[in-house]
This record gives sequence, C-alpha cells and structure tokens, in this order.
Amino acid sequence: MFLPRVVKRQEPLQWGSFFIFAAALVVSLGVSCALLAVHGKPPLKALAVLWSGGFGGPFALEDTLLKSIPIFLCSLGVAVSFRMQVWNIGAEGQFALGAVGATWAVLTFPVLPLWAMMPVMFLCAAVAGGLWAAVPAVLRLRFGMNEIISTLMFNYIGILFLQFLVYGVWKDPTSFGFPMTSIFPKAAIIGPISPATLGRVHWGLAVCAGVAVLLAVFLKRTRLGFELLAGGENPRAARYARMPYNLLVLLVMSLCGALAGFAGCIETSATVNRLQPSIMVGYGYTAIVVAWLSRLRITSIALFAFLLAGLRVGVEHLQLDLQVPAAFGGILEGMILLSVLAGQFFDRYRFTLKGRS
Amino acid sequence: MSDTPHTPTAVAPEPPRRAREAHAHLPPVVRLEGICKSFGKVRANHDITLDIRPGCIKALLGENGAGKSTLMSILAGKLRQDSGSILVDGAPTLFASPRDALRAGIGMVYQHFMLVDSMTVAENVLLGQSPDMVLRPARMRDEVAALAERYGLVVDPAARVGGLSMGERQRVEILKLLYRDSRVLILDEPTAVLTPRETDQLFEAMWRMADQGKALVFISHKLQEVLTVADEIAILRRGEVVDQFSEADVPNQTVLANRMVGRDVVLQVDAKRLTPVDTVLSVEHLFGPGLDDVSLTVRRGEIVAIAGVAGNGQKELVEAICGLTRPASGEVRILGRPWREFFAGPPGRRGLAYIPEDRQGLATCRQLDLVDNFLLTTRNLFAKGMFLDRTEATNAVKRVVWEYNVQPGDIAASARALSGGNLQKLVIGREFFRKPEVIVAENPTQGLDISATEEVWGRLLEARSSAGVLLVTGDLNEALELADRIAVMYRGRFMDVFDKDDTAKVEAIGLMMAGVRPGEPETEA
Amino acid sequence: MDMDTALLLSILAATVQSGTPILYATLGEMFTERSGVLNLGVEGMMIVGAFTAFLATHLTGNPWAGVLAAGLCGGGLSLLHGIVCLIFQGNQVVSGLALTILGLGLADFLGTPYVGITTTGFQAFAVPVLADIPVLGTIFFRHDALVYLSYLLPPLFWLFMARTRPGLALRAAGEHPAAASAAGLSPVRIRWCGIFTGGFLAGIGGAYLSLAYTHLWTNNMTSGRGWIAVALVIFAFWRPGRAVFGAYLFGGVMALQLRLQAMGANLPSSLMLMLPYALTVLVLLASSARGGGRAAPAALGVNIEPEE
Repeated sequence: MFLPRVVKRQEPLQWGSFFIFAAALVVSLGVSCALLAVHGKPPLKALAVLWSGGFGGPFALEDTLLKSIPIFLCSLGVAVSFRMQVWNIGAEGQFALGAVGATWAVLTFPVLPLWAMMPVMFLCAAVAGGLWAAVPAVLRLRFGMNEIISTLMFNYIGILFLQFLVYGVWKDPTSFGFPMTSIFPKAAIIGPISPATLGRVHWGLAVCAGVAVLLAVFLKRTRLGFELLAGGENPRAARYARMPYNLLVLLVMSLCGALAGFAGCIETSATVNRLQPSIMVGYGYTAIVVAWLSRLRITSIALFAFLLAGLRVGVEHLQLDLQVPAAFGGILEGMILLSVLAGQFFDRYRFTLKGRS
Repeated sequence: MSDTPHTPTAVAPEPPRRAREAHAHLPPVVRLEGICKSFGKVRANHDITLDIRPGCIKALLGENGAGKSTLMSILAGKLRQDSGSILVDGAPTLFASPRDALRAGIGMVYQHFMLVDSMTVAENVLLGQSPDMVLRPARMRDEVAALAERYGLVVDPAARVGGLSMGERQRVEILKLLYRDSRVLILDEPTAVLTPRETDQLFEAMWRMADQGKALVFISHKLQEVLTVADEIAILRRGEVVDQFSEADVPNQTVLANRMVGRDVVLQVDAKRLTPVDTVLSVEHLFGPGLDDVSLTVRRGEIVAIAGVAGNGQKELVEAICGLTRPASGEVRILGRPWREFFAGPPGRRGLAYIPEDRQGLATCRQLDLVDNFLLTTRNLFAKGMFLDRTEATNAVKRVVWEYNVQPGDIAASARALSGGNLQKLVIGREFFRKPEVIVAENPTQGLDISATEEVWGRLLEARSSAGVLLVTGDLNEALELADRIAVMYRGRFMDVFDKDDTAKVEAIGLMMAGVRPGEPETEA
Repeated sequence: MDMDTALLLSILAATVQSGTPILYATLGEMFTERSGVLNLGVEGMMIVGAFTAFLATHLTGNPWAGVLAAGLCGGGLSLLHGIVCLIFQGNQVVSGLALTILGLGLADFLGTPYVGITTTGFQAFAVPVLADIPVLGTIFFRHDALVYLSYLLPPLFWLFMARTRPGLALRAAGEHPAAASAAGLSPVRIRWCGIFTGGFLAGIGGAYLSLAYTHLWTNNMTSGRGWIAVALVIFAFWRPGRAVFGAYLFGGVMALQLRLQAMGANLPSSLMLMLPYALTVLVLLASSARGGGRAAPAALGVNIEPEE
C-alpha cells in the first residue's frame, strides 16, 4: 500500500508561519478576486488599488500606520488571553467601553490641563475596558460560564451602551441631531507627533511602543509574566508547578480589556476628537485574526497588525475607486484566518508516501 | 452478590471444563510468526511466534514493559508490525486498522474501555452493529440480555454505562465482541480493575467462552490468576518469548515467577545506610479514588520504596502527597505542616520536590528553553519582588547543567532537544537545587540507559543526607538496590511495609505484588 | 375578546414568529455539536442563508427554491469549517469565528446591490381546524409554512437521536470518537454529516428572516441571532425540547421589544436592543450555575487526530 499518509512532525517547520501566511494570503486574495469578478469588478485592477491604497506611497502608509495602532493594542490583549487558552473575543466591546470611559473622563473634568487629562483619560479607559472584560472572567471562574459567548454578548451590549450614551445623555445639543458628543477640549486630544515629518501620525503610536515594551518586560522579566507564559504553554505543568490559574485568567482578561480600552481611548481622542458610533469598525475582530496569526510574539503582532490595517485601508480605497462594498474586508479577513488555520496543519504534520507494511 | 468474604486472591473452584477435549487438537485460529516491532530504539517485540487455538485460554505473562500489550495491539490491528506475519486460519493477513482485525474475528478489550458513557449497555453493544435503520430498544435489550445470559456476563442492558462499575463495563466490552461473533478475544490486564468477586465471575465467563469454542488471550503479570485460568502460558521478557508451557507442563508458581522476572541484576550500587532522623512526610489513613487506607511515614535519611505493579494506587497516592489532588479523607503532613497549609503557595526552598514519571508532559514544557523550564518550580527562589532575576537563574541553570552533565548543554535550546535521560537529569537538578527535604520520585529511571540510571540512583542516595525520599517504582531491582524500607502496594493498599534486611519478606515481594501474603497457602496450578 | 387579550395574543403569535429562526439555528448547531464539532459560525451561515434565500426567491419567484438555496449555501459554508477542522485539524473555536467573519462579509458584499428590495416570500395561512382552537389556534396556527415545518423538527430531532442507527452513530462520534471507530464506524465521516446538517438548518433559519419574518434583504439582518443560538444550545443542555423553550423565550423578548417600540415606549431604542443579549448572558449564567456544561458531548470541540 503506497497511499500518502499523515505523519506527525517532530520539529515545527522552519519559517513555517511565514510560508503559511504567504500561502493563506494568496488563497484568500484569489478567492476574493474571483468574488470581485462575479460582482463585475476588474480583479487585477482591484488588487492594484488594494496594494497602492494600503502600502503604495507615504500617504497610504500613514493611513495604514494610524489604523494599525488600535489593532495592535487590541491584538496584544487578545494574544495574551489566547495564550492562556482563554477565548476572549470581547475586544470589540472592551474597545467601546474604553472609548466610553475616556469620554466620561473628558466630560466630567473638561478643564483639566493636558498633563492631567491624558493620564486620567487613559486610566478611565483602562478601568472601564478592564472591568468589562473582568466580568466574563469572573463568570467563567465562578460559574463555569462559557467565555466565548459571554464576551461576545458583552460586545453587543457594550456597543449599544455606547450608542445609548451618544444618542442620549451625551449628545451634543449643537450636532443637528447627529449621534455624537461635542468635540473634546484641546487638552483631551492626542495630537500628531510631528506634523511636518510624520504627518497625521499621533502620539498613540508612542503609547503602543510604551505598552509593547512594558508587556515584553512583564512577560520576560516578572514572575507573573513567566507564570502566564509557562502556564499557557502547558496547563498540566502549570498545575505541577502550582501556578495561580484563576488569578492568571482574571489577569489576562483584565489586561486585554485595559489594552482594548486604550485603543478605544486613542481612537476617540486622536482620530475623531469626540465620541461617536462610527469608531466601532470591528478592530476587535481584526485583532483576533492578528492574535491567532502571531501568537504572543510582539514583533509579529506589530507586523500583522500593520498588514491587516493595510488591507483595511486598501479596501477603503476599493470602496472609493471601484465601489466595492466595505464588507470585502470581512471576506478577506475571514478567508485569511481560515486558510491560516488550515495551513498550520503543516506545522504539525507532513505527508509521506512511505508504505504502511 | 455473594456474602462470602473474599481475600484479594480468592479463586473460585474450577468448574469442569466439559468441552475442552472437543477443541483439543484443532489447528490454531491465529498464528503469529516472527513478529518484530520497535519504537525508535526501543525493541518492544522481537521475533515472536505464537499459536492461538480455539477453545483454549492462552496467557501472556510478563512484567510491565515486557511487550505483551504491544504484541496484542499488533494482533488487534491497532499497531503494525515492522516484520513478521499474522496468519488467520493459515492465511497471511494484513490488518490496516482495528476494523480489519474485527472483521477477521479478532477483538480486544483494552485497559481503557471504548464505551460511550451516556449510552445504555444495549446501545453500546449494538453501536455500529444494528442491522436496522430504526432502533427498537426493547428488542435490543432482549438480544443483549440473551447474549449476557449465554456467557454468564451479568449486566443490565438498559443501564447507562456511565453508572456502571468497572467490572460491569468490562462485561459490556466483552459482549460487544461476542455480539459480532469474534473468534479471538484478547483481554489486556482485565483483572486490574476488578474486585476479587468480579475477577472470579470473569474467569467463569472466560471458561464458558472457551467451552463454546472461542479462543482467548489473557494478558497479565499476575501469576496466580494466570495459573488459575489459563490453559497455555507464554512468558514474555524484554520483548521476547522466553518460555511456553502447554497445559500438561505448567510449572509451579515460584519457577514461573523467576522466569518472568528473570532477576538478572544489571546494576548494583553501594548504598550505605544512614541513621534516619525526624519524620518529614506522614500519611495517615488516606482514602480516596484508588486508595484504601494508606498510612506511611518517611524519615530524613532513608529511602522508602513503594513497589508494585502500576495502577495499584501509586499514582493517586503520589498526586495527593505532591499537592496535585486534594486528599479525600485522611491526613497528609509534609515537614510537620498540614496539606492545605503546605500547598498554599508556590514551591519554595527546603520543601517538597516531585520528580514525576511523566517528564515531558508534567515536569517540563517541551517548547520552552532550559532556563524557563528550570524556573517552573524554582521561580520563587529567583523572585525579587515582582521581578524574576533571570541573570541569576541563567547562571544557576549553567551550573546545574554542568554539575548534572545535561547534554546538549545549550540552555537556550528548547527542552524537546533533550533526550529522556538528559531531561530527567535536568528535572532532578532543578528539584535538588531547591534543597528539598522531602523527595518523591516516580519511576525515576524508566526509559533511561544504564549510565543515566546509575547517575540518577547516585543522586537519590546522596539526597538522603538531608531529605527523606519516597521512591515509587515498578522496577523491583531499583527498589531493592536503593531502598531502606519497602512497601508493597496492591489495589490501593499496602500489603506490607518492611525493612530491606528482612530477607524472608524480600523473597516474597513478587508474590505480594500479585496480592499474595506470605504464609497464605499457594494455589495449586 | 377585549383589547388586552387581543394584544397579548398578538404578542404571543409574534413570539412564535421571532422564535422560529432561532429555533432552526439552535437545532442545527445542536445537531453539529452532538456529532462533536463546535461550529461558532452560525451567525455567518445564517446570514448567508438569509441572503441566498432572498436572492433565489427573487430570481425564481418561488420561496421554496429560496429555502433550498439557503440550506445548501449555509451547509456549503459550514463545509469550510469541516475542511479546516476535520481535514486540517484547525482550532474549532477560531475556525468558527472566521466563518462568522467570512459569512457576514460575503452576505454583505454580495447583497449590497439588493439592499431594500422586497420579494414575495412566504405568506401566513391558517391551518384548517387547528386555527380555530381558541387561544392556541391564534398563537400557533396562523403562520407561514416554515413555522409549521419548525414544529416538526424537535420531535424529529429527538427521534433521530434516540431511535435510529445513524443517530446512535452520531452521538457516539460526539461522545467518544475512538469508541465509534472501534465499533467500525467512521467518526470523521459522521462529523461531516453533522456539520453540513447544522449549516443547512442555520441557513434555513436565515431564510426565515428574509422570506417570512420580513420580505426583503437588508444588511446585518441576523443581528446576533446566530450567537444566541449557540448560547441556547448550552442553555438547552443539548436537548431539543429545551431548545424550543429557549428559542420562544428569545422570540418573546424580541416581540415584546418591537411592540413596545411600536407603541412608542419611553425607552431609548439602544437599551431595548440590548435586551436579547443581556438575556443571553443571564440565561447562560443560570444554566452554567446549574452545571449545564456537563451535559455537553464529551468530545465536543476535540479534533480527531489522523491515525498514523
């Protein structure tokens, strides 16, 4: 019998994740282009627009960098949760609560100077997002409630809560009925780092860098960070080494909430300068794709956040230039994630033609 | 259920085997010829030739790791031999999967039952077997009940498997095979999970099956049971058949025991005795799943070995002592402190070290590097506030790697780069780094080569000077070489705890491992 | 009959209507999960079903063609999950999420030109005799064909699981694939069937939204119903009877919410829209606290590794 059969790999594939992602991208773009053709759009031109819109030129890269900021922050949190095998898919809702928390700080203390406003804003965002994530964590630990569904429901509830505020109590009386708060005072707006050289790239990027360094130090240098990494690697070994499992679950969820909260805060303050429902564009779900692609390697997270942000920007250009619906981005992300999942098979297995004898 | 008290070795009076003569000279149903199988470098089976006859119970006797289960897994289609052939009714046959073997009429009852807990007995028996599209529960029950009646395998067909005892589940497994008219039934250590009473019932059912022309293979390491139930005996040692006995020439228990264990001393160490001092570990009246009133003390300066066949409660005992499972009832005190209090925090200095049998899945993380693996249980020693002093840890790992001669000594490599022996040296180095005062070592030399074994033994003996050691081992030689005192565990209890110098008892360890107390009458073959 | 009773009856009748798509999706996901596969892509399969049902009906004029198309496309999408998890051993949780993202994207992308267009769809008709039963007739027997069809599903589901050979095999694949394999069955093949059937039913659940609940296509018309279905499977302890109760409970809340809005209740709409999601959390909390998770098929979410 010389049928191909599946054999487990002893060592993971060299450069495996790179090849897998490249293959996944090719498959996904292929399928997506076929769909575009069905829709009567020129696929090759669309690819060109996708590329030039997301990565071709300084303006495109600037856009992509701006979008990768919230995605990066959310992805860090999701990756940390996934590492502990906690299926927290609630970054979207935690993002919304972060935006709400930051806005609350701004509306409550409108006259704070910049040096006080920023920490208060970020703190409120982190607390709001963190608590929003801690509730499902506690429900899971205390009652064994499935965190996938609870975090997802908290997404819907969080977004609706944001809408409730901007349609109601927080609505700007001068907004002609549009659901939005009034524009933030200058002290509450995260400004550009250097308009002359970096364009619109704002201090949120510095926050990302800071968070990334702190997280790397936390994971690499602290005892709790070590427990998180090792405990997620092998839960049995974690039990053997007597690691505080419940505490770790609560920690990763709250951390994810706080980071998503940061993202919400930055998006509100730096990008739209006020709270409005349009900030909810699904970064929290893109973060899942990024987190799964890069596991908990922070540089990979940055790289994949940038790539997926670029795709998002490219899709926006498709929308403008070729009238391709925005949902095209969802198709791309879904296809990429599915192909990566399938491709990771080759990280663990290989086919052999050796007979069974 | 009968009210008669049963000792663990109770053996039912042998009923007459009426049909035995009828099958006496039939050709074998299955013949294994020159079977070889290796796992990596380990030779599990080597050139094994074996006949399995209808109406006959064949025992495969051998110690753990002798290759019995591997051989039978090959016959049942679960594993594929490297060379050699399986002849069914004289014709060479190739089994690609258990399904093929089943179709050829060969079925196996594994130690881990293949039953669906949430289904009824009848549903389990008829799974994949029912000829009809629509199930008729009443008819299914009747069919299964009739089958059970015929072979004396009493079990309620309407009961859910999840609520059954191990013995009943085993009967369901056998019924599954009988329902599909299997001609060869392989029972892998079937009595390991049974009570004495259930063991007797199983034997009766086995005779009944043999009388009706089935061929049975009984895998066991328990001499008495083999002598009681088997018609033919084959002894396996280190993957080879060392002896075969037919009904006429079965020797007595002692000869059989020696043939099985083959106590060839591979290694000897010079274990000078120390004077034991204070008690570091005490276990009193511990009960729980798999444990039946276990009491034990270990003092600083001694090694106490728990000898016994795996699966007699050693794992449960170790997990309770090492903080992995909370003791159900009874008391465990470590260094004078109660269990709850001792296991409240992370592992620290001068505490308890656990060297588990499962080095790869439990004691280490394959993907992490040596430093991270080292930090698993020593992280508290390198904590500076909330931070970990990795520089100091790295230096410590370097020292340990050098001192314990871990090869290759690249501390940035992941743990899976290490062979079993080197991984074990790393684990021991890590655990001893904490200067533990209680050490629990579980089959510490399993799978290691001679030099690594010698090293591990040396370390354990050395550790006695500052610690009490509890050594759990399935290797009798290891127990005898290292221990000061030996406890023999059988079915969740200690048969006896005695000093190594008590030669009479030491002689009887093999029997005690099989559940026989010295002084009790030996059963005639 | 006074006004209040009439209002109550109409709300209860609306309950059945709102509950029906959730019932289809819940039973579908339950079927998949009983075979041991967790498919979190219900939302995606539902919305694809809703769109294809609309499109097929729009093109053929026959709503049954729409239902068939919805089932096939929902099932077809679910096969992607099968490819990832059954062939390539991918993580079932993440694959399901990806399926949802993909499904929502697909339906939205392909459906953009059709937003707001109406189609024929199903019409309500009174079942002779039964519709005249006081109270019950009004609540249960003045609906459309898909509702009536949904009444048959739970008992059929139960019969299939408890009384047929394939049902037995499916349960075995979900509880103990190795045992199924040892009994000569192919658990992987069984799981393919479980996945496809689940996708098929989720698609029909979606079809109900675009062909009966409304008669048009809009983006995002499932609005989380797929996720509610996933939660209801846990709430129902993987039993069809309780799924009916759960689906109508949510149907009731949605009906009530619509009615209150229509009557101009003095509550912000976003708070009203939260109700089903908040209820999902509560309901799941209640069943989790009662140890509901233990009723799950033992091998749920665990891939069957290829034999070496």
